[in-house]
Amino acid sequence: MVGKNCFAIASDRRLGVQLQTVATDFQRVFKIHDKLYIGLSGLATDVQTLYQRLVFRHKLYQLREERDMKPQTFASLVSALLYEKRFGPYFCQPVIAGLGEDNEPFICTMDCIGAKELAKDFVVSGTASESLYGACESMYKPNMEPEELFETVSQALQASVDRDCLSGWGGYVLVVTPTEIQERVIKGRMD
Amino acid sequence: MKLDVSAMENNFAPVHAGVGDDDDLGLFGAGADLPAMELPTCADFDGFQKTNKEMLKHKKGTTTLAFIFDKGVIVAADSRASMGGYISSQTVRKIIEINPYMLGTMAGGAADCQFWHRNLGIKCRLHELANKRRISVAGASKLLANILYSYRGMGLSIGTMIAGWDEKGPGLYYVDSEGARLVGSRFSVGSGSLYAYGILDEGYRYVMSVEEAGELARRAIYHATFRDGASGGCVSVYHVGPDGWTKLSGDDVGELHYKYYPVQATPVEQEMADAPAA
Repeated sequence: MVGKNCFAIASDRRLGVQLQTVATDFQRVFKIHDKLYIGLSGLATDVQTLYQRLVFRHKLYQLREERDMKPQTFASLVSALLYEKRFGPYFCQPVIAGLGEDNEPFICTMDCIGAKELAKDFVVSGTASESLYGACESMYKPNMEPEELFETVSQALQASVDRDCLSGWGGYVLVVTPTEIQERVIKGRMD
Repeated sequence: MKLDVSAMENNFAPVHAGVGDDDDLGLFGAGADLPAMELPTCADFDGFQKTNKEMLKHKKGTTTLAFIFDKGVIVAADSRASMGGYISSQTVRKIIEINPYMLGTMAGGAADCQFWHRNLGIKCRLHELANKRRISVAGASKLLANILYSYRGMGLSIGTMIAGWDEKGPGLYYVDSEGARLVGSRFSVGSGSLYAYGILDEGYRYVMSVEEAGELARRAIYHATFRDGASGGCVSVYHVGPDGWTKLSGDDVGELHYKYYPVQATPVEQEMADAPAA
């Protein structure tokens, strides 16, 4: 979700096999560089593999270009990487958030074969995505300060995952501004 | 987020008025034990039933348990209703009060359980009126099992436990929509039952106080709600004794978790909390 010169990216922490919960500390939001994060929902093995591939590609880019990737470029990279596997896809829906030129927040989401969807306010993915759309739509306000943005994102996340059997068991929220990064683990319903 | 459990309060006074105004003999006429519900008239009955079943397929997403101990029967259940992945309610009453001394649990299709338990309550009351004595738990469970057997294969989805106290003492039966009727002293039904069995079997002793037994049931259901995605909400624990049932507790699982496993700040977190003050 986008705020005033900042963004927040959040996820739940459950790892499950259909109805059975296997872990409650699964990391889904990954750092690419200080101002670029990617959240991946879907099949856990693809989440981890895709993250490792993307970090690899970004490190190569850093070596060649001697700078960090812009969020828009990274989004195109992810899209291309996913479409390469058009006929045997990664079962992941990424959510990309970053601060671009002049610290302008950039967010986008994609389906599992790389269809980019840019948005100015918020993007969601996962099993509770429909709930999340509703919650974010009603709680979002433009130009929120980092503290308010954190509250909004946490509440929207908790409200939505509390209506989904397959999500929840805690939350993880990251708020990034040009000067600092705040990460917090949210206590939620563990059922 | 605390749940609004007002939907789980019992707002109805116990109905002892009976069935005085019933004109049609549908339920206690000669055909009382045969399927009394209308069946659809169509060319391919079996095919139609098959597609129906697929459409209404419920996976018994729930956790309920009941066990007998020296002071009666403990019955406990969670309160989540799920439609596939969507949680439709966190405050469903899965322990159904058939009459003041008998309880039934709900697992499977909510509509099926609610209707047939109420139907069973009616039949039990009629038995009391006709025979001037309460029906036994064995008799009540047999009534239900026979009805469910006659609808076998038509897609009813019920996995219930009938628990009560009659002249022979505490009674517990497992009845399901496939027609099974099992007598036993410890049962757990639903998608979360395996997790509940783990806690229940480990902590079970025949001689326990009512509080200990209630706490065992509460912990078993709590652990099932933690591991199973289709169970959650609140844990309701009931005790059936010689004078009938009483509700021992109703706890929100979200809060129970932090009661059993309080959050302990790791050393790093503690430092981070202390740092700004330093």
